[in-house]
Amino acid sequence: MVGIVLVSHSEKIAMGAQELIEQMTKGSVPLEVAGGTSDARLGTDVNLIMEKIEKVYSPSGVLVIVDLGSAVMSAQMAIESMEEEKRKNVIIADAPFLEGAISAVMESSFGKGLEEVKSAAEAAKNLNKL
Amino acid sequence: MIVREVEVTNKAGLHMRPAAQIVQTAGKYDSQITLEKDCRKANAKSIMDVVAMGIKKGTVITIRAEGDDEKEAVDALVNLIMGNFDEE
Repeated sequence: MVGIVLVSHSEKIAMGAQELIEQMTKGSVPLEVAGGTSDARLGTDVNLIMEKIEKVYSPSGVLVIVDLGSAVMSAQMAIESMEEEKRKNVIIADAPFLEGAISAVMESSFGKGLEEVKSAAEAAKNLNKL
Repeated sequence: MIVREVEVTNKAGLHMRPAAQIVQTAGKYDSQITLEKDCRKANAKSIMDVVAMGIKKGTVITIRAEGDDEKEAVDALVNLIMGNFDEE
């Protein structure tokens, strides 16, 4: 099963998203959040992101979903500092944070592959609410 | 192809949790499955599609499935909806 890591500048946002998703999927998918910095400030933390990716890592891969632009950089740095063999199985989705996360976790719960999980997350971008 | 109509009768309609149950049930089958209401159509395997339909209690929706396991898929979804998702 593809693991999912949610990276947010705010720990509360990340944990709120996790709470909502786990209520929907009953914790069937490996999901971790990296919210805020290690000293509890707003921001993103490369080491924390890396640690969370490692936690959900399997050869099926890991999809990272970020909230705001600068989280992309931290996530990229986290991925780059992993072992080469694992690195190719970890990708970042260009997706809205909450909708993308929910879609990705659902798709992963069906046992789909990393590329399909990423596509499901990114498809949430085209969604009209009204 | 199998087409069935079913009324959504649980109190809250297809909000997040019931929608998630629909998508997870649909995801177990290989068939292409859609939910339809008026002119709107949702892929039953896409959570955002199903939630976006905004289906309330009392709405009749059409379930359409096509594939090798279409009958099982539609039966499972109809049972889930008619059983009110084990909620009120």
